[in-house]
Amino acid sequence: MAHIVLDKVTKSYAGGVTAVDAVDLEIRDGELMVLLGPSGCGKSTTLRMIAGLETISSGDLYIDGERVNEKDPRDRDLAIVFQNYALYPHMNVARNLGFGLKLRRVPPAEIERRVQETARMLGIEALLKRRPAQLSGGQRQRVALGRALVRQPRGFLLDEPLSNLDAQLRTTMRLELIKLHRQLGATIIHVTHDQLEAMTMGERICIMDGGKVVQVGPPADVYRNPASLFVAGFLASPPMNLLPAAVVGSDGGGLAVRVGATTLPLPEEYLQAYAGCRDRSVVLGVRPEDLHEAAPALPQITVAANAVEMVGPEVILVGTPEGLETEASARLSRAFRAEPGDRISLGVDMRQIHLFDPATGLAVPRPDLGFEPHRR
Amino acid sequence: MSALFAPTLAARDRRFGYAMAAPAIVVLAAIILAPVALALATSLFDYTLMNMTFDRFIGFDNFVAALSSSEFANSMVVTTLFVIAVVALEFVIGFVVALMLTTVKRGKNIYYLILLIPLLINPVVVGLIWRMLLHPTLGIVNWLLGGIGVPDIDWLGHPGTAFWTVVLVDIWHQVSFMAVLLTAGLSALPTEPYEAARAEGAGTLQTFWYITLPLMKPVIAVTLLIRLIFAIKTYDLIYIMTRGGPGDATDLISYYIYRSAFARLNLGEAAAMAILLMVIVIVLTLALFRTMRARG
Ligand SMILES: Nc1ncnc2c1ncn2[C@@H]1O[C@H](COP(=O)(O)OP(=O)(O)OP(=O)(O)O)[C@@H](O)[C@H]1O
Ligand SMILES: [Mg+2]
Repeated sequence: MAHIVLDKVTKSYAGGVTAVDAVDLEIRDGELMVLLGPSGCGKSTTLRMIAGLETISSGDLYIDGERVNEKDPRDRDLAIVFQNYALYPHMNVARNLGFGLKLRRVPPAEIERRVQETARMLGIEALLKRRPAQLSGGQRQRVALGRALVRQPRGFLLDEPLSNLDAQLRTTMRLELIKLHRQLGATIIHVTHDQLEAMTMGERICIMDGGKVVQVGPPADVYRNPASLFVAGFLASPPMNLLPAAVVGSDGGGLAVRVGATTLPLPEEYLQAYAGCRDRSVVLGVRPEDLHEAAPALPQITVAANAVEMVGPEVILVGTPEGLETEASARLSRAFRAEPGDRISLGVDMRQIHLFDPATGLAVPRPDLGFEPHRR
Repeated sequence: MSALFAPTLAARDRRFGYAMAAPAIVVLAAIILAPVALALATSLFDYTLMNMTFDRFIGFDNFVAALSSSEFANSMVVTTLFVIAVVALEFVIGFVVALMLTTVKRGKNIYYLILLIPLLINPVVVGLIWRMLLHPTLGIVNWLLGGIGVPDIDWLGHPGTAFWTVVLVDIWHQVSFMAVLLTAGLSALPTEPYEAARAEGAGTLQTFWYITLPLMKPVIAVTLLIRLIFAIKTYDLIYIMTRGGPGDATDLISYYIYRSAFARLNLGEAAAMAILLMVIVIVLTLALFRTMRARG
């Protein structure tokens, strides 16, 4: 349907704001790409440039191999869901949904049929006669989404289309979108700052920060191998623990990471990759789920418990490792109990750790050993 | 406790409010209500400038006389044509100007200033200026037109041209009113629907027809009604430029009422016609208020 390529696409506003900074990104035909990033990182601006609503300051945008920088939005044939909905205030829901079809001279009966179908899918059939002002925020958002879905464009640009829905509706709509994506095989760019949405929906996710792309890849890859401290600290909740550390040599020619008062031996597989870090300070990245209670086979780290949070299926322990000021969290089984101030020994799954260069913020490359349940 | 005092407090507030407003109400009553009441009374009596007494009550005879006079009928027709021509043309020109102004990025205030200048000129002065400019032998307009070979036009002296000349001068004077109000309306429109329409593939004309026009409907209704009410009352331009002539070609209702009172000296009939005019204007004004209230 649509193969979209951004080549050093940049948007600068008058006054020296560079909202999008030389973004290189390829969205394959029929792919569901998620744009993820903190507020103000340029997600909407990127999407609007692709839609043709914002001029591109420099760089090139290609759709299906054709450079479309100067092309009118209507000739790009992409449907967009606006972050602020942008419904037509003077039209009722049915006319809002059908307007794009009417502009394309679709016969009224066909418009009616498609509007009904879309409304049913979104659960807004009962609202078709109402004006946007008479709808709740979540209902408006569904109309905005419906306005894009009712058409059969080359691709969809969705700017946080589910942000205002309740958790249950969001899950339903997420599944609907994935289903739709499979059925139509449509190219979709989906902007969100909901991590769960990004992880579950995206075939690939593109993480942006400060107008730049910082990492692109399948969700599992990005999760397992964050390219930088930013990605490591941004993705997942609680995010990866990032602790000041140093790489030191250990007896027998191996390497170890010293974190505060603890020294953790590095697995053999990483010795070569991390050899260059020897005697340098690094940032140690450990995901909370890679810290385990009662795992004597693993290298141990002792933390002083600060808080224990029950979150349904698991317990989050927040504590301070010995000899550090920085807090770390661990995802433990729901049977785990501790009081603030308790000293707890946790096993660290060293095969899942990452080292980052504190100067550049980038991950030090290492082989990916894949997920493998740790041995207790 | 406070609930006990509230009514008396509110009542005191209200009384104080009336006391403060009283002088203004008295003045308004004296200069508006009293004359209207007097006109109403006059319209029911055989009251002329030759015989200025309320001694012969004739009921609605003045109204009957007015409504059956061919001159009154003529002035109603002329007024209707004038109002339609003026309001329609000013609306179309004003809307086009307003649409063009919204695309202007720099120097908007200069355009506003230029637009406002005619509006700020007293209608009498407007009439005098244009009478000079349009003078058949001494006027600059004919001189300029002569330069490109157009023969002299008797702008105000010919029944066919005089009506349209007055219409044109009125447009020159009042079109900015429309333009300014419509510009204000346009700049208050939300921008999001326009983006959505662009993204959905609407062209310029479609955007205007499906987005701008419907969104502007309340502003357009109010603008048209205000201008309509003022156009019906047009008097100064006629008095200065044509005196209703040539013949009765520009005999607008206000001017005809004036003639009835001070040329034909029949104050009673003039008052009756003034009351009829007032009823029309009041009806239009009520329609205006309803339109404005309906849109919050
Ligand atoms: N018209 C403008 N003029 C100047 N700066 C702008 C303009 N529009 C956006 N920006 C800036 O560009 C940056 C990117 O904005 P953008 O709307 O793309 O962010 P976003 O990633 O969509 O954020 P959010 O998640 O909050 O929607 C922001 O820093 C914003 O302040
Ligand atoms: Mg945004």
